[in-house]
Amino acid sequence: MSLENSFFLLMKFVIPLYLLAFIIYAIRAFKGPTIVDIILAVDCLSFDIAAFMAILAIYFKSAFLISGAITLALWAYLLDIYVAKYLVGKEVGV
Amino acid sequence: MSEILFYLGAIMITIGGICDLFGALGLLKFPNFYIRLHAATVGTIGGAVVPLFGVGFLALGADFLPHKYAIAGASFVTGIIVLLAAPAGSHALAYAAHKTKIVKWEPKCDHLEVEE
Repeated sequence: MSLENSFFLLMKFVIPLYLLAFIIYAIRAFKGPTIVDIILAVDCLSFDIAAFMAILAIYFKSAFLISGAITLALWAYLLDIYVAKYLVGKEVGV
Repeated sequence: MSEILFYLGAIMITIGGICDLFGALGLLKFPNFYIRLHAATVGTIGGAVVPLFGVGFLALGADFLPHKYAIAGASFVTGIIVLLAAPAGSHALAYAAHKTKIVKWEPKCDHLEVEE
């Protein structure tokens, strides 16, 4: 079996794991009782979508998807810092 | 040599998928925010950093990819960014939640409250 066939065989087992995890994260993001629970779930969802986009870049043999992954990882960190600063200081300033 | 890198990356992607599912289940089932931080660490470090490095190794070992060095390099850079940014963001959120007292919990002893 060539490496390409074994990679697509691996994807048949791995992609359902990731999609199930995304659905469970989305449930927690929708029903989270406090705002920090929602932000924590969106944070985990963004980092895991970044990892999943790197896998999809190999699956579709395209180098353009991976640049979105870097942006998504940085955006999730920015969301954390802004929400934490708003909760502590009641303003989003510098 | 390329087969070794390929199968190392495949094992790391599988470990990442399993850690991702367990982290998501923990985030859904754990009782309050401070315990959910533990599941969030499993979901980000185990579920995002490990498969990103795995994608990098797999792309270096794959012989069917047209832009394998671009994909591998960007995967390693994204993995390092997540490895540095996820604990800092979780810590900032935990600090804000403790400071504003919006999470209901009954601890035996809150050392951070005693010191202030």
